[in-house]
Amino acid sequence: MANNEWALTRAVAGIGTAAMKISDEVGGIVVLTGQVLRALVPPRIDRRELFKNLHKMGNKSVPIVVLTAFFAGGLMTLQSAPFVKKLNATSLAGWGAGYAVLREIGPILIALMFSGRVGANNTAELATMTVTEQLDGLRALAIDPVRFLVVPRVIAMIVMLVALTVIGDQVALLGASVVGRSMLDISWSTMFHSFADNLKPYDFLHGVYKSIAFGGAIAVSSCYFGVTVKGGAVGVGRAVNAAVVAAAVSIMLLDFFLTYTTG
Amino acid sequence: MSSWAHRRITQLGGNVVAAGRAIRELWMVYVSTIAGIYRNLRRTTGSPRGELVRQMYSIGNRSLFFIIVTLGFIGMVMTYEACLQLSRVTGEYSQVGPQFLRLIVSDFGPTLAGLMLATRVGAGIAAEIGSMKVTEQIDALRMSGVLPIDYLIVPRFLASLVMTVMLTVVGSGVMYAAGGLTAQYSFGVNPHVYFDIAQVRPRHLIMMTIKAAAFGAAIPIVAGFCGLRARGSSEGVGWATTAAVIGSSFAVIALDFVISAAALFVTGGDL
Repeated sequence: MANNEWALTRAVAGIGTAAMKISDEVGGIVVLTGQVLRALVPPRIDRRELFKNLHKMGNKSVPIVVLTAFFAGGLMTLQSAPFVKKLNATSLAGWGAGYAVLREIGPILIALMFSGRVGANNTAELATMTVTEQLDGLRALAIDPVRFLVVPRVIAMIVMLVALTVIGDQVALLGASVVGRSMLDISWSTMFHSFADNLKPYDFLHGVYKSIAFGGAIAVSSCYFGVTVKGGAVGVGRAVNAAVVAAAVSIMLLDFFLTYTTG
Repeated sequence: MSSWAHRRITQLGGNVVAAGRAIRELWMVYVSTIAGIYRNLRRTTGSPRGELVRQMYSIGNRSLFFIIVTLGFIGMVMTYEACLQLSRVTGEYSQVGPQFLRLIVSDFGPTLAGLMLATRVGAGIAAEIGSMKVTEQIDALRMSGVLPIDYLIVPRFLASLVMTVMLTVVGSGVMYAAGGLTAQYSFGVNPHVYFDIAQVRPRHLIMMTIKAAAFGAAIPIVAGFCGLRARGSSEGVGWATTAAVIGSSFAVIALDFVISAAALFVTGGDL
Protein backbone atom coordinates (compact mmCIF):
# COMPACT_ATOMS: atom_id res chain seq x y z
CA MET A 1 0.00 0.00 0.00
CA ALA A 2 2.74 2.39 1.03
CA ASN A 3 4.51 1.46 -2.16
CA ASN A 4 1.48 2.42 -4.22
CA GLU A 5 1.21 5.77 -2.52
CA TRP A 6 4.85 6.42 -3.31
CA ALA A 7 4.29 5.58 -6.97
CA LEU A 8 1.34 7.95 -7.10
CA THR A 9 3.30 10.75 -5.45
CA ARG A 10 6.14 10.23 -7.87
CA ALA A 11 3.80 10.28 -10.86
CA VAL A 12 2.17 13.52 -9.72
CA ALA A 13 5.58 15.03 -9.02
CA GLY A 14 6.72 14.01 -12.47
CA ILE A 15 3.74 15.65 -14.14
CA GLY A 16 4.31 18.78 -12.08
CA THR A 17 7.99 18.92 -12.98
CA ALA A 18 7.20 18.51 -16.67
CA ALA A 19 4.53 21.22 -16.49
CA MET A 20 6.93 23.59 -14.73
CA LYS A 21 9.60 22.93 -17.36
CA ILE A 22 7.18 23.58 -20.23
CA SER A 23 5.91 26.79 -18.57
CA ASP A 24 9.50 27.89 -18.04
CA GLU A 25 10.31 27.37 -21.72
CA VAL A 26 7.13 29.01 -23.00
CA GLY A 27 7.69 31.95 -20.67
CA GLY A 28 11.29 32.31 -21.80
CA ILE A 29 10.24 32.25 -25.45
CA VAL A 30 7.58 34.90 -24.83
CA VAL A 31 10.08 37.12 -22.99
CA LEU A 32 12.57 36.75 -25.83
CA THR A 33 9.84 37.66 -28.34
CA GLY A 34 9.16 40.78 -26.30
CA GLN A 35 12.85 41.69 -26.30
CA VAL A 36 13.03 41.18 -30.07
CA LEU A 37 10.00 43.43 -30.62
CA ARG A 38 11.44 46.01 -28.23
CA ALA A 39 14.74 46.00 -30.15
CA LEU A 40 12.82 46.64 -33.37
CA VAL A 41 11.29 49.92 -32.23
CA PRO A 42 14.03 52.18 -33.49
CA PRO A 43 14.89 49.73 -36.29
CA ARG A 44 18.66 49.66 -36.04
CA ILE A 45 19.66 46.34 -37.52
CA ASP A 46 23.20 45.26 -38.20
CA ARG A 47 23.02 45.08 -41.97
CA ARG A 48 26.01 42.80 -42.55
CA GLU A 49 24.75 40.25 -40.06
CA LEU A 50 21.29 40.43 -41.65
CA PHE A 51 22.50 39.83 -45.21
CA LYS A 52 24.88 37.08 -44.11
CA ASN A 53 21.99 35.31 -42.41
CA LEU A 54 19.59 35.85 -45.32
CA HIS A 55 22.08 34.19 -47.66
CA LYS A 56 23.01 31.40 -45.30
CA MET A 57 19.42 30.59 -44.31
CA GLY A 58 17.68 31.19 -47.62
CA ASN A 59 19.88 30.50 -50.61
CA LYS A 60 21.58 27.48 -49.08
CA SER A 61 18.25 25.87 -48.14
CA VAL A 62 16.88 25.95 -51.67
CA PRO A 63 18.09 22.44 -52.69
CA ILE A 64 16.59 20.63 -49.69
CA VAL A 65 13.33 22.59 -49.90
CA VAL A 66 13.00 21.94 -53.64
CA LEU A 67 13.61 18.20 -53.18
CA THR A 68 11.14 17.94 -50.30
CA ALA A 69 8.48 19.93 -52.11
CA PHE A 70 8.85 17.86 -55.27
CA PHE A 71 8.35 14.60 -53.37
CA ALA A 72 5.48 16.07 -51.35
CA GLY A 73 3.63 17.17 -54.47
CA GLY A 74 4.20 13.79 -56.08
CA LEU A 75 2.90 12.04 -52.98
CA MET A 76 -0.31 14.04 -53.01
CA THR A 77 -0.99 12.97 -56.59
CA LEU A 78 -0.20 9.36 -55.69
CA GLN A 79 -2.67 9.53 -52.81
CA SER A 80 -5.43 10.97 -54.96
CA ALA A 81 -4.78 8.33 -57.64
CA PRO A 82 -7.35 5.79 -56.36
CA PHE A 83 -10.20 8.32 -56.61
CA VAL A 84 -9.08 9.49 -59.99
CA LYS A 85 -8.94 5.95 -61.32
CA LYS A 86 -12.21 4.95 -59.70
CA LEU A 87 -14.21 7.95 -60.87
CA ASN A 88 -12.24 8.32 -64.09
CA ALA A 89 -12.13 12.03 -63.31
CA THR A 90 -8.62 13.15 -64.19
CA SER A 91 -9.74 16.77 -64.07
CA LEU A 92 -10.14 16.44 -60.29
CA ALA A 93 -6.58 15.20 -59.67
CA GLY A 94 -5.24 18.74 -59.59
CA TRP A 95 -7.95 19.83 -57.19
CA GLY A 96 -7.07 17.35 -54.45
CA ALA A 97 -3.31 17.55 -54.88
CA GLY A 98 -3.16 21.32 -55.38
CA TYR A 99 -5.48 22.14 -52.53
CA ALA A 100 -3.61 19.90 -50.09
CA VAL A 101 -0.23 21.19 -51.22
CA LEU A 102 -0.99 24.91 -51.18
CA ARG A 103 -2.93 25.05 -47.93
CA GLU A 104 -1.39 22.39 -45.69
CA ILE A 105 1.27 19.98 -46.83
CA GLY A 106 3.47 22.53 -48.62
CA PRO A 107 3.82 25.10 -45.82
CA ILE A 108 4.03 22.47 -43.07
CA LEU A 109 6.62 20.24 -44.72
CA ILE A 110 8.74 23.17 -45.84
CA ALA A 111 8.56 24.68 -42.36
CA LEU A 112 9.58 21.35 -40.79
CA MET A 113 12.54 20.98 -43.13
CA PHE A 114 13.45 24.63 -42.56
CA SER A 115 13.30 24.07 -38.82
CA GLY A 116 15.58 21.07 -39.22
CA ARG A 117 18.11 22.73 -41.44
CA VAL A 118 18.09 26.39 -40.43
CA GLY A 119 16.52 26.39 -36.98
CA ALA A 120 18.68 23.55 -35.66
CA ASN A 121 21.77 25.05 -37.24
CA ASN A 122 21.01 28.42 -35.71
CA THR A 123 20.54 26.88 -32.26
CA ALA A 124 23.83 25.02 -32.64
CA GLU A 125 25.63 28.21 -33.65
CA LEU A 126 24.19 30.39 -30.89
CA ALA A 127 24.65 27.62 -28.33
CA THR A 128 28.30 27.24 -29.27
CA MET A 129 28.72 30.99 -28.90
CA THR A 130 27.01 30.83 -25.51
CA VAL A 131 29.07 27.95 -24.10
CA THR A 132 32.30 29.53 -25.33
CA GLU A 133 31.22 32.74 -23.55
CA GLN A 134 31.17 34.85 -26.70
CA LEU A 135 27.80 36.29 -25.65
CA ASP A 136 29.33 37.48 -22.37
CA GLY A 137 32.11 38.97 -24.44
CA LEU A 138 29.58 40.96 -26.45
CA ARG A 139 27.88 42.13 -23.27
CA ALA A 140 31.24 43.23 -21.89
CA LEU A 141 31.64 45.40 -24.98
CA ALA A 142 28.19 46.92 -24.28
CA ILE A 143 26.68 45.23 -27.34
CA ASP A 144 23.21 43.83 -26.72
CA PRO A 145 23.27 40.18 -27.93
CA VAL A 146 19.53 40.26 -28.66
CA ARG A 147 19.85 43.30 -30.88
CA PHE A 148 23.05 42.18 -32.57
CA LEU A 149 22.52 38.42 -32.94
CA VAL A 150 18.88 37.49 -32.42
CA VAL A 151 17.00 40.24 -34.29
CA PRO A 152 18.77 39.77 -37.67
CA ARG A 153 18.22 36.02 -37.43
CA VAL A 154 14.52 36.37 -36.64
CA ILE A 155 13.99 38.73 -39.56
CA ALA A 156 16.06 36.55 -41.91
CA MET A 157 14.16 33.40 -40.99
CA ILE A 158 10.71 34.95 -41.44
CA VAL A 159 11.61 36.50 -44.81
CA MET A 160 13.32 33.40 -46.10
CA LEU A 161 10.71 30.90 -44.97
CA VAL A 162 8.06 32.91 -46.84
CA ALA A 163 10.27 33.04 -49.94
CA LEU A 164 11.03 29.33 -49.74
CA THR A 165 7.35 28.49 -49.30
CA VAL A 166 6.50 30.46 -52.44
CA ILE A 167 9.19 28.59 -54.40
CA GLY A 168 8.35 25.27 -52.78
CA ASP A 169 4.64 25.55 -53.63
CA GLN A 170 5.46 25.93 -57.31
CA VAL A 171 7.89 23.02 -57.22
CA ALA A 172 5.31 20.87 -55.42
CA LEU A 173 2.72 21.59 -58.12
CA LEU A 174 5.36 20.68 -60.71
CA GLY A 175 6.08 17.47 -58.80
CA ALA A 176 2.37 16.66 -58.75
CA SER A 177 2.19 17.16 -62.52
CA VAL A 178 5.31 15.08 -63.20
CA VAL A 179 4.02 12.17 -61.13
CA GLY A 180 0.58 12.51 -62.75
CA ARG A 181 2.14 12.41 -66.19
CA SER A 182 4.59 9.59 -65.60
CA MET A 183 2.61 7.25 -63.35
CA LEU A 184 -1.07 8.01 -63.93
CA ASP A 185 -1.19 9.13 -67.57
CA ILE A 186 -2.66 12.55 -66.83
CA SER A 187 -1.49 14.98 -69.49
CA TRP A 188 0.25 18.23 -68.61
CA SER A 189 -2.60 20.35 -69.93
CA THR A 190 -5.29 18.44 -68.03
CA MET A 191 -3.32 18.91 -64.84
CA PHE A 192 -2.71 22.58 -65.55
CA HIS A 193 -6.39 23.29 -66.24
CA SER A 194 -7.33 21.31 -63.18
CA PHE A 195 -5.08 23.56 -61.07
CA ALA A 196 -6.25 26.72 -62.78
CA ASP A 197 -9.96 25.93 -62.47
CA ASN A 198 -10.05 24.69 -58.89
CA LEU A 199 -7.44 26.68 -57.01
CA LYS A 200 -8.05 30.24 -55.94
CA PRO A 201 -5.44 32.88 -55.14
CA TYR A 202 -6.64 32.76 -51.57
CA ASP A 203 -5.55 29.12 -51.22
CA PHE A 204 -2.02 30.14 -52.10
CA LEU A 205 -2.08 33.19 -49.79
CA HIS A 206 -3.43 31.08 -46.95
CA GLY A 207 -0.28 28.93 -47.09
CA VAL A 208 1.98 31.95 -47.43
CA TYR A 209 0.70 33.84 -44.43
CA LYS A 210 0.85 30.69 -42.35
CA SER A 211 4.51 30.47 -43.23
CA ILE A 212 5.07 33.94 -41.76
CA ALA A 213 3.86 32.64 -38.40
CA PHE A 214 5.86 29.42 -38.76
CA GLY A 215 9.01 31.39 -39.55
CA GLY A 216 8.57 33.56 -36.47
CA ALA A 217 7.95 30.55 -34.23
CA ILE A 218 10.97 28.65 -35.56
CA ALA A 219 13.18 31.72 -35.25
CA VAL A 220 12.26 32.68 -31.69
CA SER A 221 12.32 29.13 -30.30
CA SER A 222 15.64 28.28 -31.94
CA CYS A 223 17.24 31.49 -30.66
CA TYR A 224 15.81 30.94 -27.17
CA PHE A 225 17.30 27.47 -26.82
CA GLY A 226 20.56 28.72 -28.30
CA VAL A 227 21.11 31.56 -25.83
CA THR A 228 19.94 29.68 -22.72
CA VAL A 229 22.12 26.59 -23.20
CA LYS A 230 24.12 25.26 -20.26
CA GLY A 231 27.14 22.98 -20.17
CA GLY A 232 29.50 22.06 -22.96
CA ALA A 233 29.04 19.78 -25.96
CA VAL A 234 26.33 17.69 -24.28
CA GLY A 235 24.33 20.86 -23.59
CA VAL A 236 24.60 21.97 -27.20
CA GLY A 237 23.22 18.68 -28.48
CA ARG A 238 20.38 18.81 -25.97
CA ALA A 239 19.57 22.42 -26.89
CA VAL A 240 19.31 21.56 -30.59
CA ASN A 241 17.05 18.64 -29.76
CA ALA A 242 14.79 20.81 -27.59
CA ALA A 243 14.69 23.53 -30.27
CA VAL A 244 13.49 21.24 -33.07
CA VAL A 245 10.89 19.65 -30.82
CA ALA A 246 9.58 23.06 -29.73
CA ALA A 247 9.52 24.24 -33.34
CA ALA A 248 7.57 21.16 -34.48
CA VAL A 249 4.98 21.54 -31.72
CA SER A 250 4.54 25.26 -32.33
CA ILE A 251 4.18 24.72 -36.09
CA MET A 252 1.32 22.27 -35.50
CA LEU A 253 -0.38 24.48 -32.90
CA LEU A 254 -0.11 27.64 -35.00
CA ASP A 255 -1.35 25.75 -38.04
CA PHE A 256 -4.43 24.69 -36.15
CA PHE A 257 -5.25 28.12 -34.75
CA LEU A 258 -4.60 29.96 -37.99
CA THR A 259 -6.71 27.54 -40.00
CA TYR A 260 -9.48 27.66 -37.45
CA THR A 261 -9.63 31.44 -37.11
CA THR A 262 -9.17 32.41 -40.76
CA GLY A 263 -10.51 29.43 -42.68
CA MET B 1 37.90 32.42 -66.75
CA SER B 2 39.60 29.07 -66.99
CA SER B 3 40.75 29.29 -63.39
CA TRP B 4 37.16 30.07 -62.35
CA ALA B 5 35.86 27.07 -64.29
CA HIS B 6 38.65 24.95 -62.89
CA ARG B 7 37.74 25.97 -59.37
CA ARG B 8 34.03 25.27 -59.86
CA ILE B 9 34.72 21.85 -61.37
CA THR B 10 37.13 20.98 -58.58
CA GLN B 11 34.52 22.02 -56.03
CA LEU B 12 31.80 20.02 -57.74
CA GLY B 13 34.03 16.96 -57.98
CA GLY B 14 34.96 17.34 -54.32
CA ASN B 15 31.30 17.45 -53.35
CA VAL B 16 30.51 14.36 -55.42
CA VAL B 17 33.38 12.41 -53.89
CA ALA B 18 32.35 13.50 -50.37
CA ALA B 19 28.74 12.50 -51.05
CA GLY B 20 29.81 9.12 -52.40
CA ARG B 21 31.98 8.53 -49.36
CA ALA B 22 29.11 9.53 -47.03
CA ILE B 23 26.71 7.16 -48.79
CA ARG B 24 29.22 4.32 -48.51
CA GLU B 25 29.72 5.04 -44.80
CA LEU B 26 25.96 5.19 -44.23
CA TRP B 27 25.63 1.82 -45.96
CA MET B 28 28.42 0.41 -43.78
CA VAL B 29 26.62 1.61 -40.63
CA TYR B 30 23.45 -0.10 -41.85
CA VAL B 31 25.20 -3.38 -42.70
CA SER B 32 27.13 -3.47 -39.44
CA THR B 33 23.94 -2.78 -37.50
CA ILE B 34 22.26 -5.78 -39.10
CA ALA B 35 25.39 -7.83 -38.44
CA GLY B 36 25.41 -6.49 -34.89
CA ILE B 37 21.89 -7.77 -34.28
CA TYR B 38 23.02 -11.23 -35.39
CA ARG B 39 26.11 -11.00 -33.18
CA ASN B 40 24.00 -9.96 -30.20
CA LEU B 41 21.65 -12.89 -30.74
CA ARG B 42 24.49 -15.39 -30.72
CA ARG B 43 26.18 -13.85 -27.74
CA THR B 44 25.11 -15.25 -24.40
CA THR B 45 27.06 -12.96 -22.09
CA GLY B 46 28.09 -9.36 -22.16
CA SER B 47 25.25 -7.97 -24.25
CA PRO B 48 23.67 -4.85 -22.75
CA ARG B 49 20.24 -6.24 -21.93
CA GLY B 50 18.85 -3.36 -19.91
CA GLU B 51 19.94 -1.00 -22.65
CA LEU B 52 17.25 -2.13 -25.10
CA VAL B 53 14.46 -1.54 -22.58
CA ARG B 54 15.94 1.82 -21.61
CA GLN B 55 16.12 2.90 -25.23
CA MET B 56 12.56 1.76 -25.84
CA TYR B 57 11.46 3.89 -22.91
CA SER B 58 13.37 6.97 -24.04
CA ILE B 59 12.40 6.64 -27.72
CA GLY B 60 8.85 5.39 -27.26
CA ASN B 61 7.26 6.42 -23.99
CA ARG B 62 8.93 9.79 -23.83
CA SER B 63 7.76 10.67 -27.36
CA LEU B 64 4.17 9.69 -26.66
CA PHE B 65 2.98 13.08 -25.47
CA PHE B 66 4.74 14.86 -28.33
CA ILE B 67 3.20 12.53 -30.94
CA ILE B 68 -0.28 12.84 -29.43
CA VAL B 69 -0.17 16.67 -29.40
CA THR B 70 1.23 17.13 -32.90
CA LEU B 71 -0.76 14.46 -34.71
CA GLY B 72 -3.93 15.39 -32.84
CA PHE B 73 -3.72 18.98 -34.00
CA ILE B 74 -2.87 18.09 -37.56
CA GLY B 75 -5.79 15.65 -37.65
CA MET B 76 -8.12 18.47 -36.60
CA VAL B 77 -6.70 20.81 -39.24
CA MET B 78 -6.99 18.28 -42.04
CA THR B 79 -10.61 17.41 -41.27
CA TYR B 80 -11.43 21.08 -40.95
CA GLU B 81 -9.91 21.89 -44.34
CA ALA B 82 -11.61 18.93 -46.01
CA CYS B 83 -15.05 19.78 -44.57
CA LEU B 84 -14.59 23.45 -45.44
CA GLN B 85 -13.82 22.58 -49.02
CA LEU B 86 -16.76 20.16 -49.23
CA SER B 87 -19.15 22.70 -47.71
CA ARG B 88 -18.41 24.99 -50.65
CA VAL B 89 -18.92 22.29 -53.27
CA THR B 90 -21.51 19.72 -52.23
CA GLY B 91 -22.12 20.04 -48.49
CA GLU B 92 -22.21 16.28 -48.21
CA TYR B 93 -19.92 15.01 -45.45
CA SER B 94 -20.65 11.29 -45.39
CA GLN B 95 -17.38 10.34 -47.09
CA VAL B 96 -15.09 12.55 -44.97
CA GLY B 97 -14.51 10.09 -42.14
CA PRO B 98 -14.02 6.88 -44.13
CA GLN B 99 -11.78 8.49 -46.74
CA PHE B 100 -9.78 10.35 -44.10
CA LEU B 101 -9.19 7.08 -42.28
CA ARG B 102 -8.03 5.47 -45.52
CA LEU B 103 -5.57 8.33 -46.09
CA ILE B 104 -4.34 8.21 -42.49
CA VAL B 105 -3.73 4.48 -42.58
CA SER B 106 -2.08 4.40 -45.98
CA ASP B 107 -0.06 7.61 -45.78
CA PHE B 108 -0.51 10.44 -43.29
CA GLY B 109 -0.30 8.42 -40.06
CA PRO B 110 3.07 6.75 -40.63
CA THR B 111 4.57 9.70 -42.52
CA LEU B 112 3.69 12.41 -40.04
CA ALA B 113 4.58 10.21 -37.06
CA GLY B 114 7.84 9.41 -38.84
CA LEU B 115 8.61 13.06 -39.48
CA MET B 116 7.88 13.99 -35.88
CA LEU B 117 10.05 11.15 -34.60
CA ALA B 118 12.79 12.12 -37.04
CA THR B 119 12.99 15.51 -35.37
CA ARG B 120 12.68 14.29 -31.80
CA VAL B 121 14.39 10.88 -31.81
CA GLY B 122 16.83 11.60 -34.64
CA ALA B 123 18.11 14.77 -33.00
CA GLY B 124 18.31 13.01 -29.63
CA ILE B 125 20.34 10.06 -30.94
CA ALA B 126 22.72 12.30 -32.89
CA ALA B 127 23.21 14.66 -29.95
CA GLU B 128 23.93 11.77 -27.58
CA ILE B 129 26.28 9.82 -29.85
CA GLY B 130 27.86 13.04 -31.14
CA SER B 131 28.75 14.22 -27.65
CA MET B 132 30.16 10.77 -26.87
CA LYS B 133 32.26 11.02 -30.03
CA VAL B 134 33.74 14.44 -29.31
CA THR B 135 34.47 13.56 -25.68
CA GLU B 136 36.32 10.46 -26.98
CA GLN B 137 34.01 8.01 -25.25
CA ILE B 138 33.58 6.13 -28.54
CA ASP B 139 37.34 5.68 -28.78
CA ALA B 140 37.33 4.46 -25.20
CA LEU B 141 34.70 1.86 -26.13
CA ARG B 142 36.81 0.70 -29.05
CA MET B 143 39.85 0.51 -26.80
CA SER B 144 38.04 -1.82 -24.44
CA GLY B 145 37.17 -4.13 -27.33
CA VAL B 146 33.51 -3.15 -27.60
CA LEU B 147 32.17 -2.35 -31.08
CA PRO B 148 30.45 1.07 -30.85
CA ILE B 149 27.82 -0.02 -33.35
CA ASP B 150 26.87 -3.10 -31.33
CA TYR B 151 26.81 -1.17 -28.09
CA LEU B 152 25.18 2.09 -29.21
CA ILE B 153 23.34 1.74 -32.50
CA VAL B 154 21.88 -1.77 -32.30
CA PRO B 155 19.72 -1.14 -29.19
CA ARG B 156 18.51 2.18 -30.62
CA PHE B 157 17.78 0.54 -33.96
CA LEU B 158 15.66 -2.23 -32.43
CA ALA B 159 13.92 0.13 -30.02
CA SER B 160 13.10 2.63 -32.74
CA LEU B 161 11.85 -0.12 -35.07
CA VAL B 162 9.37 -1.40 -32.48
CA MET B 163 8.40 1.96 -31.03
CA THR B 164 7.85 3.76 -34.34
CA VAL B 165 5.29 1.12 -35.33
CA MET B 166 3.57 1.45 -31.94
CA LEU B 167 3.58 5.25 -31.98
CA THR B 168 2.29 5.25 -35.56
CA VAL B 169 -0.72 3.22 -34.48
CA VAL B 170 -1.37 5.45 -31.45
CA GLY B 171 -0.81 8.63 -33.44
CA SER B 172 -3.10 7.54 -36.26
CA GLY B 173 -5.83 6.75 -33.76
CA VAL B 174 -5.44 10.14 -32.11
CA MET B 175 -5.43 11.89 -35.48
CA TYR B 176 -8.62 10.15 -36.56
CA ALA B 177 -10.39 10.77 -33.26
CA ALA B 178 -9.36 14.45 -33.19
CA GLY B 179 -10.65 14.80 -36.75
CA GLY B 180 -13.93 13.20 -35.72
CA LEU B 181 -14.41 15.68 -32.89
CA THR B 182 -13.71 18.60 -35.21
CA ALA B 183 -16.12 17.29 -37.82
CA GLN B 184 -18.83 16.82 -35.21
CA TYR B 185 -18.50 20.14 -33.41
CA SER B 186 -17.65 22.42 -36.34
CA PHE B 187 -19.71 20.90 -39.12
CA GLY B 188 -22.26 18.74 -37.33
CA VAL B 189 -21.13 15.47 -38.88
CA ASN B 190 -22.76 12.49 -37.20
CA PRO B 191 -20.08 10.39 -35.42
CA HIS B 192 -21.74 7.20 -36.66
CA VAL B 193 -21.18 8.38 -40.20
CA TYR B 194 -17.64 9.59 -39.49
CA PHE B 195 -16.31 6.57 -37.61
CA ASP B 196 -16.80 4.08 -40.40
CA ILE B 197 -13.94 1.78 -41.29
CA ALA B 198 -15.44 0.46 -44.53
CA GLN B 199 -12.84 2.06 -46.79
CA VAL B 200 -9.81 0.52 -45.08
CA ARG B 201 -8.57 -2.67 -46.65
CA PRO B 202 -5.93 -5.14 -45.42
CA ARG B 203 -3.45 -3.80 -48.00
CA HIS B 204 -3.64 -0.37 -46.36
CA LEU B 205 -2.76 -1.86 -42.99
CA ILE B 206 0.13 -3.77 -44.56
CA MET B 207 1.37 -0.57 -46.15
CA MET B 208 1.12 1.28 -42.83
CA THR B 209 3.22 -1.37 -41.10
CA ILE B 210 5.81 -1.44 -43.89
CA LYS B 211 6.11 2.35 -43.90
CA ALA B 212 6.32 2.65 -40.13
CA ALA B 213 8.95 -0.09 -39.94
CA ALA B 214 10.97 1.48 -42.76
CA PHE B 215 10.93 4.90 -41.09
CA GLY B 216 11.71 3.36 -37.70
CA ALA B 217 14.73 1.62 -39.21
CA ALA B 218 15.94 4.63 -41.20
CA ILE B 219 15.85 7.22 -38.38
CA PRO B 220 18.38 5.64 -35.96
CA ILE B 221 20.71 4.59 -38.80
CA VAL B 222 20.87 8.08 -40.32
CA ALA B 223 21.05 9.78 -36.93
CA GLY B 224 23.65 7.37 -35.58
CA PHE B 225 25.74 7.83 -38.71
CA CYS B 226 25.60 11.61 -38.29
CA GLY B 227 26.49 11.31 -34.61
CA LEU B 228 29.48 9.05 -35.31
CA ARG B 229 30.77 11.57 -37.87
CA ALA B 230 30.76 14.44 -35.34
CA ARG B 231 34.12 16.17 -35.10
CA GLY B 232 35.57 19.01 -33.08
CA SER B 233 33.80 20.11 -29.92
CA SER B 234 30.42 21.59 -29.15
CA GLU B 235 30.14 23.04 -32.64
CA GLY B 236 30.62 19.58 -34.15
CA VAL B 237 27.81 18.18 -32.00
CA GLY B 238 25.51 20.96 -33.16
CA TRP B 239 26.33 20.26 -36.79
CA ALA B 240 25.82 16.53 -36.34
CA THR B 241 22.42 17.08 -34.75
CA THR B 242 21.34 19.41 -37.55
CA ALA B 243 22.49 16.94 -40.19
CA ALA B 244 20.62 14.15 -38.41
CA VAL B 245 17.32 16.06 -38.37
CA ILE B 246 17.59 16.95 -42.04
CA GLY B 247 18.86 13.54 -43.11
CA SER B 248 16.27 11.52 -41.24
CA SER B 249 13.34 13.82 -42.21
CA PHE B 250 14.37 13.59 -45.83
CA ALA B 251 14.79 9.82 -45.54
CA VAL B 252 11.20 9.60 -44.27
CA ILE B 253 9.82 11.64 -47.17
CA ALA B 254 11.86 9.85 -49.82
CA LEU B 255 11.04 6.38 -48.43
CA ASP B 256 7.38 7.35 -48.25
CA PHE B 257 7.42 8.30 -51.91
CA VAL B 258 9.25 5.13 -52.95
CA ILE B 259 6.97 2.82 -50.95
CA SER B 260 3.79 4.59 -52.15
CA ALA B 261 4.90 4.42 -55.78
CA ALA B 262 5.90 0.76 -55.41
CA ALA B 263 2.53 -0.04 -53.83
CA LEU B 264 0.75 1.71 -56.68
CA PHE B 265 2.60 -0.44 -59.21
CA VAL B 266 2.15 -3.67 -57.25
CA THR B 267 -1.60 -3.18 -56.87
CA GLY B 268 -2.01 -1.85 -60.41
CA GLY B 269 -3.45 1.52 -59.35
CA ASP B 270 -6.18 -0.08 -57.23
CA LEU B 271 -4.83 1.13 -53.92
